[in-house]
Amino acid sequence: MTRGDGTKTIVLVEDNPDDVELTLRAFERSNIANEVRVVRDGASALDLLLARGEHEGRDRADDPQLVLLDLKLPRVSGLEVLRALRRDERTALLPVVVLTSSQEERDVVESYRLGANSYVRKPVDFVEFVEATRQLGLYWLVLNVGARGR
Amino acid sequence: MATEESFRQLFAANPVPMWVFDTTTLAFLEANQAAIDLYGFSREAFLERTILDIRPAEDRMALLAMVRSERPPLNHSGRWRHLTADGRTLDVDVTSHATTFEGREARLVVVRDIGPELRAERYEERRRAELQRLAGELERRVAERTAELTDLNRELEGFTYSVSHDLRAPLRAIDGFSLALLEDGGAALDERGRHYLDRVRAASRRMAMLIDDLLALSRVSRAELARRKVDLAEIARGVLKELEELEPERAVEVVVPRSLPVAADRNLMTVLLHNLLTNAWKFTARTEGARIELAVERQDGEMAYTVRDNGAGFDMRYAEQLFVPFQRLHSVEEFPGTGVGLATVQRIVRKHGGRVWAKGQVGRGAAFHFTLGEGTS
Repeated sequence: MTRGDGTKTIVLVEDNPDDVELTLRAFERSNIANEVRVVRDGASALDLLLARGEHEGRDRADDPQLVLLDLKLPRVSGLEVLRALRRDERTALLPVVVLTSSQEERDVVESYRLGANSYVRKPVDFVEFVEATRQLGLYWLVLNVGARGR
Repeated sequence: MATEESFRQLFAANPVPMWVFDTTTLAFLEANQAAIDLYGFSREAFLERTILDIRPAEDRMALLAMVRSERPPLNHSGRWRHLTADGRTLDVDVTSHATTFEGREARLVVVRDIGPELRAERYEERRRAELQRLAGELERRVAERTAELTDLNRELEGFTYSVSHDLRAPLRAIDGFSLALLEDGGAALDERGRHYLDRVRAASRRMAMLIDDLLALSRVSRAELARRKVDLAEIARGVLKELEELEPERAVEVVVPRSLPVAADRNLMTVLLHNLLTNAWKFTARTEGARIELAVERQDGEMAYTVRDNGAGFDMRYAEQLFVPFQRLHSVEEFPGTGVGLATVQRIVRKHGGRVWAKGQVGRGAAFHFTLGEGTS
């Protein structure tokens, strides 16, 4: 998932098509040029990130730079995805940002407990959403020095 | 003989029912007035009968067995059932004493009517049983209600969880795509079209605010109360500092004591002061020389914590409505808000076993007083 220019991809795990479109638009507005790969449910996300199922044998050099994870997902929930990613040593250090609607305390606490790197609540106001996305991209794609590949 | 005469007197006038019977024939030989009154037989009727005649048929064998047995001179033969002249059954306690009467071997029987005692005992027993039944019933009902409440709570929790996830997503789409339309298709829209889209966005943001406030209210209801020593003054300073940072252009005189310790839940106190002080901040927006004060003072006969401002105030006629969710005394254009804040304040105060009330005057400011039930727990 590395492009010719060396920027890595972002995986967006999101089942709501409106949110997918708006998030992509927000990336565009915040000048985040990374390729965004969208997966619509938790099971597909795990297949892709853990290189199994239809993604069996994919090149691990293709690993994304950042995963944006919704919590309410069909089949396997976001928290389950997070748990599985942290349990697997290949993805234990992969930056995962929970990007979701709720600010229910149990979601926030459980996300951090399972090893989320960040928890961002999607604001209703799209202008604020763009700003949140911009800061998120700035931190996780530009400033953050990842543990992997070092 | 004078002595015999006095004994006869003692027998005849004794308020305790007594009789004498022949131990051989079992016939009554004498009965006193109290016995006559109790059994309803005349003296003559007694003397025509034997002691078997005043027993229910099923008790007669036992009586015969006892009479024939060797008995001590003074014998307490215990509880028996006797029949009255009109067929009622008496519960009696019987004591007999061996004697001779007009040359015959006899026994003097002293009878105590224990019916009222037994009835009281039975009544007491029934009452105990009834109380036990009621206690059991109550326990069962409490268990039922608890189970119902647990179910309801779980349902409510699921509901709020779902609201906080699912109700906001469409609002994001409404706001986001309205803005996208303004940005991308704005040229095709006239002034009025853009105005409508602005209204759509404002409405979606307002609905998001309503949802958030409702969720906050429900979180307060579900929160466990952890009472500890908390400094209201310190919390108030924090909240006011945030408000000042959001609107640095506002000049508000803030009066907060150095410290104001209470025994209360810290998180809930933060929510409470946030609501009251944000209100005070909001309603003094158009006041010259705005002033917000936190104090503890005697109010209506008790010590109350008070948040006071000199802002827009309110009409005391509507004081009760202040704490009803979604009830607002000002239009959204005048002062923004959802009308959930003071309902949340009231719920927090009640959770602490306290009460909250407000005093105000239009154009002269408002004061919110609350207690925290600190003495009661």
